[in-house]
Amino acid sequence: MPAVFTVDPRNGVPLYLQLIEQVKRAVALGALAAGEQLPTVKALALDLTINPNTVARVYRELERDGVIETSPGRGSFVRANGQAGAQRLADDVADRSLADAIREAKSLGLRRAEIEAAVARLLDRWYPSDAQEPNA
Amino acid sequence: MITIREFTKRFGAFAAVSDLTLEVERGSICGLLGPNGSGKTTTFKCLLGFARPTAGTMLIDGKPLEPATFERLSYVPERTALYGWMTVAEHIEMQRRSFARFDAARTQELLTLFKLEPGKRVKRLSKGQQTALAIVLAFSIRPDVLVLDEPASGLDPIFQRVVIDLMIDAAAGGATILFSSHQITQVERAADHVAILRGGRLVLDGVVDTLKSTEKIVEAIFDQSIPPIDGLAHDARVRRIERSGRILRAYVQTGSDDVARQLEALHPRSVSVLDLNLEDIFLGAVESEGPEARAFSPGDAK
Repeated sequence: MPAVFTVDPRNGVPLYLQLIEQVKRAVALGALAAGEQLPTVKALALDLTINPNTVARVYRELERDGVIETSPGRGSFVRANGQAGAQRLADDVADRSLADAIREAKSLGLRRAEIEAAVARLLDRWYPSDAQEPNA
Repeated sequence: MITIREFTKRFGAFAAVSDLTLEVERGSICGLLGPNGSGKTTTFKCLLGFARPTAGTMLIDGKPLEPATFERLSYVPERTALYGWMTVAEHIEMQRRSFARFDAARTQELLTLFKLEPGKRVKRLSKGQQTALAIVLAFSIRPDVLVLDEPASGLDPIFQRVVIDLMIDAAAGGATILFSSHQITQVERAADHVAILRGGRLVLDGVVDTLKSTEKIVEAIFDQSIPPIDGLAHDARVRRIERSGRILRAYVQTGSDDVARQLEALHPRSVSVLDLNLEDIFLGAVESEGPEARAFSPGDAK
């Protein structure tokens, strides 16, 4: 198996959502390439020590989202255009992480201007080439 | 498939289990959770015909228990029923003679997996090794229905994981599994379905991932004091409300987004929806005082 997924059963995030995110992430990053075969439901369930029905649900939802395709008897494979399905995840994850960070900052009592300043500082650090743009 | 319908077991005036309805489908692993004395073992005993239900129906694959069912059913009781004077190998031999489905190669694998010495007498085995032998015997017949009462008790974490792997493997092959455990993490891993008993009554039942999706804490932090929240206090979706200083926490069964919007309308500093793991959900279900206590007295909403 090319990609190693990790899930945390003790986390409050449902296991199937954790695993869907992991697989989509692997596809978006190219760690799982188009045409690559995924482990069988049973193999992945045993590998992660989680319930097989949970893994089966993950595969069903990934198929519905256009990330993988399953052909009976052959197995599940990353779809040729699976990255498009996975790209949406990158947006979702970014959205959620930013929303969490802003909510946390707000609950700690930071004002809007303070949060904006903090975000601008961090953007300068991670996108240094854009940092010089005026009023960016 | 295991079907339990409106099952009640009374011992004199004491109701050990009341009106329990539960279904475990083929290929599914159902974790039965509950404090000691909540009716788990009584349910297993009645399901397996060792005790007679006071009322209700218990079916395996749609049929009442019949001798043929025992050919493909394995039960591991809470206290292992082994003979102290017999060796590991003799127990295995007894299993081979009793079950047409006995799988010798698989049994050998399992003995190796649990590092059990065939020549050793049961009375010389540790508690954990006795549990391991009971597990080996249970899986030696490649059962398609498994009822396991605390299957990992006395086992070290490595062997506990082996037991979970065996359950996952069996379920992937289509077996129906009902097990009880005090170790919620095991249930969180192995089970797709969880049923929680308290005082012989089913207090929560559902797909683990679905419960995690809907059971949430909505936390609101206010700048000054917490405003009145009468509507929320009487909302049937809210299990309970906790207050601590300027922080209000609503434990919701479902509808967390809607509850969060209601709280936002009160202009708090922030509102967050927090996830609950199975342990939180379990404790919430067994500690809550029941629906009658859920409603708040008016003086409470200050």
